[in-house]
Amino acid sequence: MNPKRCAACRYLRRRCPKDCVFSPYFPPNNPEKFACVHRIYGAGNVSKMLQQLPVQTRAEVVESLCFEATCRIEDPVYGCVGIISLLQTQIQKTENLLARTQAEIAVAQTKHSQNQHSEFM
Amino acid sequence: MSGGGNTVTAVGGGGCGGGSSSGGGGSSGGGGGGPCGACKFLRRKCVPGCIFAPYFDSEQGSAYFAAVHKVFGASNVSKLLLHIPVHRRADAVVTICYEAQARIRDPIYGCVAHIFALQQQVVNLQAEVSYLQAHLASLELPQPQTRPPPLTQPQPLFFTPPPPLSLTDLPASVSPYDLASIVDPSTSWATQQRRFVDPRNQYGGSSSSSAAVGLGGGNSDLQALAHELLHRQGSPPPAATDGSPSRSMSR
Repeated sequence: MNPKRCAACRYLRRRCPKDCVFSPYFPPNNPEKFACVHRIYGAGNVSKMLQQLPVQTRAEVVESLCFEATCRIEDPVYGCVGIISLLQTQIQKTENLLARTQAEIAVAQTKHSQNQHSEFM
Repeated sequence: MSGGGNTVTAVGGGGCGGGSSSGGGGSSGGGGGGPCGACKFLRRKCVPGCIFAPYFDSEQGSAYFAAVHKVFGASNVSKLLLHIPVHRRADAVVTICYEAQARIRDPIYGCVAHIFALQQQVVNLQAEVSYLQAHLASLELPQPQTRPPPLTQPQPLFFTPPPPLSLTDLPASVSPYDLASIVDPSTSWATQQRRFVDPRNQYGGSSSSSAAVGLGGGNSDLQALAHELLHRQGSPPPAATDGSPSRSMSR
């Protein structure tokens, strides 16, 4: 048993075995991370998810679960979808700006070539 | 309408939308219409007032609920919904279903992969805009022998890309989101595939899902969800009467 329990086992008030699936990803110095994930997904579901995946991918899984859980806690109705919407809005605005800039370039190029033509005259 | 009430089926049925005003799950559940999709999946009695009944119909709701239960767990979703006002629960169910299905398709990144892809698209677009603005600035510079430089400094044209979105950028208040365009994978995902480099490649692992990029082949469920939402958009927004800002699902 780990002399120092991971955040998950501490939260769940249980012994932290040496092969605890949570301990590499929920260090004891960050209890809120596990609290967040447990609140949305539940420890059992997270444990199952981690056990079904290769070890080298589990860190990424935990981070993405934490992110989604945090989004859901902050915005219980839309969760991550809220961020997706913000990004899509940002994309749309940037595309509009891009189109405007391209139009301005076209106008500037036309003026430039007209100026050059008038200089030759 | 099953059970003699105004059942709202946000997912899995002919979305009749607008009707979260069916009120606190006071609609069908355990009535003559049979169990809701959730209770059917859980093989339990669907009691009147079942919190899932308005959102998971008995026909296709089970399939959607299966994903939700697998990822979140029924009790967690129930607790989530209990803390949400009734008129907002339909949207919440839709987004929960979306996240659950995204997680099943991409067990490592879930819908965060979509966020990564969109962020990458934003960065690429902003780089393109910066480049073009620099080009525009060079075109607009006055010719030295034709006219004197302007007395006033031109406004800075360079587009400063905002920092990547972080959790602090989460919306403080809920805004109406066009859920259909978000959950419809055909709109933006396909264009992301070419630009998004799947970080999982560094692990060399293969996944059954097609990735971050992920909704490639098997996105029929998400398309069905999007289709459902599109049907719902025709309904009047449920919160239109409560004086709050419009919370219709489409902008």
